[in-house]
Amino acid sequence: MKKNRIKHFFKEIHRAFRLQRMFAALHLKKLMEYKVDFTIGAVGFILEQVINIAFLTIIFGRVENLRGWGYYEVLFIYGFSLFPNGLDHLLFDNIWNVGYWMIRKGEFDKYLTRPINTLLIVTVEEFQLDAFGKLLLGIALMVTSIRHIDLPFIWYDIPLALIAILFGMLIYSSIKTIFGAIAFWTKRSGHLMEVAYNLNQFSQYPVSIYSRAVRGAITYVIPFALTSYYPASYLLRHTRPVFSILSPAVAAIILMIIALIVWHKGLDAYESAGS
Amino acid sequence: MHLIKRLKKYLHTYLPFTRAGIQAAMVFRTNFIAWFVGDIVYCLVMYYIWLAVFNASGEGMMNGFTMTDMTVFLFITAMTRFLTDSDGSYDVGEEVKDGNIAMRLIKPVSFHSTFLFTEIGWKLLTFGLIFAPVVIGVEIYKYNAYGGFSLDIAAFLLYLVSMILSYLFSFYMNVCFGFMAFFLKNLWGFNIIKSSILRFLSGAIVPLALMPGALRQVLEWLPFSSLCYTPVMIYMGKYSGSEAALRLAIQFGWVIGFYLISKLILSTALRHVTVQGG
Repeated sequence: MKKNRIKHFFKEIHRAFRLQRMFAALHLKKLMEYKVDFTIGAVGFILEQVINIAFLTIIFGRVENLRGWGYYEVLFIYGFSLFPNGLDHLLFDNIWNVGYWMIRKGEFDKYLTRPINTLLIVTVEEFQLDAFGKLLLGIALMVTSIRHIDLPFIWYDIPLALIAILFGMLIYSSIKTIFGAIAFWTKRSGHLMEVAYNLNQFSQYPVSIYSRAVRGAITYVIPFALTSYYPASYLLRHTRPVFSILSPAVAAIILMIIALIVWHKGLDAYESAGS
Repeated sequence: MHLIKRLKKYLHTYLPFTRAGIQAAMVFRTNFIAWFVGDIVYCLVMYYIWLAVFNASGEGMMNGFTMTDMTVFLFITAMTRFLTDSDGSYDVGEEVKDGNIAMRLIKPVSFHSTFLFTEIGWKLLTFGLIFAPVVIGVEIYKYNAYGGFSLDIAAFLLYLVSMILSYLFSFYMNVCFGFMAFFLKNLWGFNIIKSSILRFLSGAIVPLALMPGALRQVLEWLPFSSLCYTPVMIYMGKYSGSEAALRLAIQFGWVIGFYLISKLILSTALRHVTVQGG
């Protein structure tokens, strides 16, 4: 019985990946049709970050370092933070729609009729290409900063970084799912998602600049710091390897379990708002 | 006499739009409380960064800004932007796209004024719900930092005037942008581009006083410092009486300028308008 369920679970995941590929192909075709719109969206998200970079550059014209972190190290952390954030944006953007209007307008019902897990179909259906702006900027920032820093690089840093990015992305999407699922009870929770999601602004800078309370909150409560600062500072200085790599994984798994429970409880409580 | 009568008629026509705006804002109040929290998070991040900067520089003052000034600057800037930002470009754009603009055009009311008065409704509610409490909080902070009451009533009244000018400037500029919807579909992305650039150019990210020399001079000459930096500096009492008067006059000039441009765009656009959808 148990073995069967596990098998079923992997089958579902496999199907989801296949669907994901199909939807991605669909969205890429859309992209070819609306090239200008795609460029505008991507440029918008790049610019939003670029003004923060400009701000950092102006600041570092006045000081050498921020609590021990130099200009290029701060850029590295900032650049790293854009990967988990950008990947979540690329793959899990549709959860915003659930929180903001799908349930309220009764459009969520369509997912209930599909023969696949609702959360999977919600996430694979949308493929937010605007996110490429963030990812490209992340790559540009990392490449620029690495050329100015002596990284204590060992080969396994690359797989570790990729793992940290993957779990970082799951931290983002789990937090979004938890707050998005509240809409099953309240019909609308986009604003709550926004409040939680906005705390990620803290995670783009070295957490050593914050007071202890803020640091604790973004490490242990809404752990966005685990998606960027900790793994990035490990890559920069090889400090605290175990905590830096393990904590994002542990946090991501815990948050994912909470997200799945809240989502399915929400589905049970869900009453359609449509006519 | 005649003028008062006309004004009365004008207000009689458009005040219902303001009432509708307040009601709409009431419905969406949780939304803008969420935006507000987002802005406050941003202020806190900036606060800690500046704290680290002041710490690292070892100086108590940078180009006339102390850490206390910087804190006041951050929060008053956020509030000023909250109150003076206009969604005009989005609303106009959406109506151009879905064709509802036709309904607005056939009614015997001014295109601009209906948008303006509706948004004023939103702003009134924002003022009471968010702006007033935060400003009181800032004043309490200043009271603690300076060990005394330091609100200059005259400066505050000038600040309100300056903010109204900022809002009108922002409104007419955004109406101009709204007509971009004729050419673009991704208005959302376009709005992010616009607001990111404006935030930087208006001195909302880094105070102009702290910018590198050449950049600072360019930005002071561009109209955008009128949008945010001018009212905030007036609030903080950084301008002398005559300088404040000059800045207000510049703001007023831009309001008139963009008002005329938006009228021009409207009349040109209407000659070419083909409403999509019926």
